[in-house]
Amino acid sequence: MPPRPKKFVCTFCRNEQAVIDYKNSKLLSNYITYYRSIQSRFHTGVCLKHQKQLSSAIKKARMMALLPAVRYEK
Amino acid sequence: MQKYEVLAIIVNSLDEKKALEQAKKSISEHISSLGGKISFEDFWGMRGFAYIIKGQKWGYYFCAQFELDPALISELKNDWNIDKSLVRFLIEKVDPKASAPRPYEEMKKEFEALEKERKIVEMNKSTKKKGTRSPEERESARREVAEKEKRAETKAPVSASSEPKKTATPKDIVDKKLDEILSDSSLDL
Repeated sequence: MPPRPKKFVCTFCRNEQAVIDYKNSKLLSNYITYYRSIQSRFHTGVCLKHQKQLSSAIKKARMMALLPAVRYEK
Repeated sequence: MQKYEVLAIIVNSLDEKKALEQAKKSISEHISSLGGKISFEDFWGMRGFAYIIKGQKWGYYFCAQFELDPALISELKNDWNIDKSLVRFLIEKVDPKASAPRPYEEMKKEFEALEKERKIVEMNKSTKKKGTRSPEERESARREVAEKEKRAETKAPVSASSEPKKTATPKDIVDKKLDEILSDSSLDL
């Protein structure tokens, strides 16, 4: 995701989403860099409450092999 | 009685029908034998892994929600660790604010919608090419090219008299003297 503009509202707060599910890997893959590490709040514009839920959801998805932790080149 | 959710991976050495039976036998029957109640079941089917686990590249996924006495959870985990048909499992408490559970096929439709949005964004990025410049951008580009040409003309031109001068080498002097000696008819050679 590109860096956020100055006046920005968190996407999860705008949709009034209370809990982030660790099972939808497509939504979580938007908050991951090219080398498959978690992106910081500065670049995505997420609020602190949802960023903590996001990071724990990404780590759970990595454990169950839904998301990679490292970029492998075949 | 506390609400829990489990996501488990089943070994890929079985057929799809047998994997369903094995999942129900080792997960849902086990829970009901300990006194639990199952409220939601979903079999995802075949799915590829993001990395290799014990030499396997794909497996069968199974999701379920149930209610159980919290003191019996450790017994459940011990039994599932011994079971060889389960590769991995994750038990989690259900948040009361969370939305109702939905099957995997509904989530797949959302995935396709998200991919379409991403492709549209990439298409719009690549349409900014040379032929689509506005007239203001073209004028500013022309001015820059004209300024560069002016600067190149005002520089001092290269002079023709800047060739390197030829100095007399000792070889030339010896050649001259040899010619004088040989052309002399008075000497006997």
